[in-house]
Amino acid sequence: MKTFEEKWTAWVDGELHGRELAEFEASLPDKTAAEAERTAVKKLGALLRRELGAPALSNEEFFAHQLRERIARENAGQPRRFGAGIARGFDWLPVRRLLWAGSVSIAIFLALAVFVMRDKNPAGQSQYLTQILNARVDPVVSPNATISMFQTKDQRVTVLWTEGLQSLPADYAAK
Amino acid sequence: MQKEATLAQPDVSELDLVQRCQAGDTEAFDELVRRYRTRVFGMIQNMVHSEQDAWDLAQDSFLKAWRSIQRFRGHSSFYTWIYRIVMNVTIDWLRKKQIKGGDSEFDDAVQLRQVDPASRTVPRAEALPHQSMERSEIRARIESAIAQLSPEHRAVILMKEIEGMQYHEIAETLGCSIGTVMSRLFYARKKLQNLLKDLYENI
Repeated sequence: MKTFEEKWTAWVDGELHGRELAEFEASLPDKTAAEAERTAVKKLGALLRRELGAPALSNEEFFAHQLRERIARENAGQPRRFGAGIARGFDWLPVRRLLWAGSVSIAIFLALAVFVMRDKNPAGQSQYLTQILNARVDPVVSPNATISMFQTKDQRVTVLWTEGLQSLPADYAAK
Repeated sequence: MQKEATLAQPDVSELDLVQRCQAGDTEAFDELVRRYRTRVFGMIQNMVHSEQDAWDLAQDSFLKAWRSIQRFRGHSSFYTWIYRIVMNVTIDWLRKKQIKGGDSEFDDAVQLRQVDPASRTVPRAEALPHQSMERSEIRARIESAIAQLSPEHRAVILMKEIEGMQYHEIAETLGCSIGTVMSRLFYARKKLQNLLKDLYENI
């Protein structure tokens, strides 16, 4: 059920039709006064449109530029997650990718640098790699035999040192 | 490059632009802003009667639209959706301004603005100085009258009379019923009729 105000507004704007229109117009006590009022409302609308219509936005390009800047700042501060599509032309993504790639590169570089530095400077450990080889010596034939292998890291020299061997097994091969 | 060339074409649908925005395409959003910035700015300026405030509020409105573009589902037109944001931002601002110290529309906050002579909606030659002054006075009278309306009544009458929006579009924009829109329109018109009778009777 429409109120009088609603019906009046609809009537003024020509939005009442059919039976509703007929009923409303029949309910008006003074049709002439109502028509004059409707004309006045139309004139008011015309005045508003004439005086307030389309105020110009001066410097539209600066408006757009300022907005782009604000969006870019916001995107830089608060990375968005987009659920659909590819982020075409989205300017924060390359920056993030660059940062990510840079961080990974630095991490890899640091890991390699540490490895190389450790290799060059064993930090007090023996410069020899020593390995005791006793797996292939027959304890019955040579009960006191020991075979050791020395390897200098720098000069890449390997020395096989044997003690207590009666004989070297024919099929022996240090591994 | 190809995208830049096609974006500016008017046949690129709003829905397509919105979908690109939702995928993070700022250029598509740029195009939407280009389509609506003048109308949005004009609407806000008629609400707040200050060019600088209207500029800031239009910026805030578009920024808010960008933030929430993911939530746009296409149930209404983008035009209605952006107007809803604009109205929320502007009405909130007006309410805060009223709470802070009363509406200052009757002091020097009322600015005389330049109407673009090339504007399509004002297709007339440049006015003579005395005509300009007269028009400025008329405009100031109208703005003073509108300033006496509540933010909601201002919004309704400007959307109806200036934007030519339908009742249901206004209702959707303001988040109220069509009956409320019609009722607000009734009272807003009555008040403006009382305040501006001498102006519109000479039309």
